[in-house]
Amino acid sequence: MRNGHAEEISKLIEPGRVHRRVYSDPDLFELEMERIFGRAWLFVGHVSQVPNPGDYVTTDLGRAPVIMARHRDGSVQVLLNRCSHRGAKVVNERRGHAPRLTCCYHGWSFDTDGRLLTVPVPEGCGEGFDKDALGLACAPRVGEYRGFIFASLAVKGQSFEDHIGPVKDNIDDLVDRAPDGALALDAGMHRYAFNGNWKLQVENVLDSYHVPFGHASTVNKDGVQFARREGDRKGATVVEAERKQTAASWKDRKSFIAGNGHGWTSNTALDEGKRSSPVFDEYKKALAEKVGAARADEILTPRLHNSLIYPNLSIMGLNIHVRVIKPIAVDRTEVNIYPIRLIGAPDAMNAANIRLLNVTHSAASFVQTDDLESFARAQKGLRSTMTDWVDISRGLGAEEPDRERNATRGLATHEMVVRAQYKAWLGYMAEAA
Amino acid sequence: MAGDGINRTAIADFIFQEARLLDARNFRDWMALFADDGTYWVPSVPGQQSPFDQASLFYDDRDLMKTRVERLEHPRIHVQTPPSRTAHLIGNVVVEEEDAANGELVVGSTVIMAEYRDDAQRVFAGRQRHRLRRHGDTFLIVQKRVDLINCDAAFEAMAVPI
Repeated sequence: MRNGHAEEISKLIEPGRVHRRVYSDPDLFELEMERIFGRAWLFVGHVSQVPNPGDYVTTDLGRAPVIMARHRDGSVQVLLNRCSHRGAKVVNERRGHAPRLTCCYHGWSFDTDGRLLTVPVPEGCGEGFDKDALGLACAPRVGEYRGFIFASLAVKGQSFEDHIGPVKDNIDDLVDRAPDGALALDAGMHRYAFNGNWKLQVENVLDSYHVPFGHASTVNKDGVQFARREGDRKGATVVEAERKQTAASWKDRKSFIAGNGHGWTSNTALDEGKRSSPVFDEYKKALAEKVGAARADEILTPRLHNSLIYPNLSIMGLNIHVRVIKPIAVDRTEVNIYPIRLIGAPDAMNAANIRLLNVTHSAASFVQTDDLESFARAQKGLRSTMTDWVDISRGLGAEEPDRERNATRGLATHEMVVRAQYKAWLGYMAEAA
Repeated sequence: MAGDGINRTAIADFIFQEARLLDARNFRDWMALFADDGTYWVPSVPGQQSPFDQASLFYDDRDLMKTRVERLEHPRIHVQTPPSRTAHLIGNVVVEEEDAANGELVVGSTVIMAEYRDDAQRVFAGRQRHRLRRHGDTFLIVQKRVDLINCDAAFEAMAVPI
């Protein structure tokens, strides 16, 4: 697999199954870092994380440590966090503010657009020393949609517009909930890690099949999950208690794909329009004052549950957040989840959302922890060479067109979305460098 | 020093006993140590000022604590199959404050918790602060806050309170 021949890689993906090596082969993982994370449009961060010139956050795009910085001209720059001199990571903090970025090793300093500013002991530089050519490398392509910054580490490839096109509406669905039409990712983040392949998390975000089983410990004896959101009197009904089977309303949930590996699931009507509490009502009023009552009703009608913007971002509409998936090794993944502050919403509503996310997605939450257990157990099972294939065939052939979103629709308890992810995966992986 | 005339042995015993209930997985009795308005807080930011504007690892009021404990007792809590075994070590217990108005005490201590589960052992360490309300001849916890030294790290699943 080291050579990454297209023909050999193509054999790993079949219409309804995936070879276990996709999750467990370290060579394939390195190839993914090169061909997926080195090429695809990846979510880097949100403009609200760097409001002022000199503000920066650091993250990793596959194997590349990067700095997302706000430059003096207001632009958001995505720079390789590697000194152009001897290769040291320049910025070590996760976030901060600095007028210039100075390497700890020999003191080379860079502007927030990557330009090399000063080199200590300049008389030691040779004659051909070209300061202009020795800036921090910049991501070759950067795109933004409503504050979400994406970058591609490849010079060529699908345009950002074409990549994000099918799921623009899903980002709108989240941003439109803010009375002022803007979000802030400034409420900290949840970080969790697991001994499993990154795709186990990616597949899971749109998986409605697992909920009654994987999250059985969150479902009471009446088959109802604990109430999640401000203003809800109860949670989703996921199990029919008497018949001890997945509830019909849960089975009716839909999932959607629209190309590029992206997908989303429809929401369960939790509230039948009755979601209400003093805090929620005040928020709804604030939203209606900005956008009108009819539009506010439309915005607050749950349409989307989880959306996946392949390969490294998911956004959730139910308990609102942004989730970033970071592959570390073939069997190690870190995930960062950002609570979202809706600009213009009452503080109490934002506080309620922040508190809710502790309960559902912190490393100590009621929901995410059982998923982490499933991911780790999957990785253990997939070590075995006795059986090669992972089944992803649920609903194969049952997909249907969805004209409203120019998408393809299936049941959310089917595996259409996973198959779509592997189609995109193969598109990146089978294309030679 | 704050809290002159306080029975320090009784306070330290209360803090030790609280940890023993967690190690015994006696989560119901542990929860009963909290006042009705009590909270259990594990911040995710060093020196975090508020649980309402930043993410936390845990921030449970009594309602959430009850949901958490019910889940810990659920037969199909996968992340506790097998269950964690823990051992707390509490030291450096100091009465930091005594509220002149209502007599509530703030007790600081250092906590180390080893956790073993499913062939893996890990260690949590940090400072904890208990705000205690006098209740007959014992106390109720108004807030237990645990500041882990690695509170902003990426954690594997944490199922049991620290």
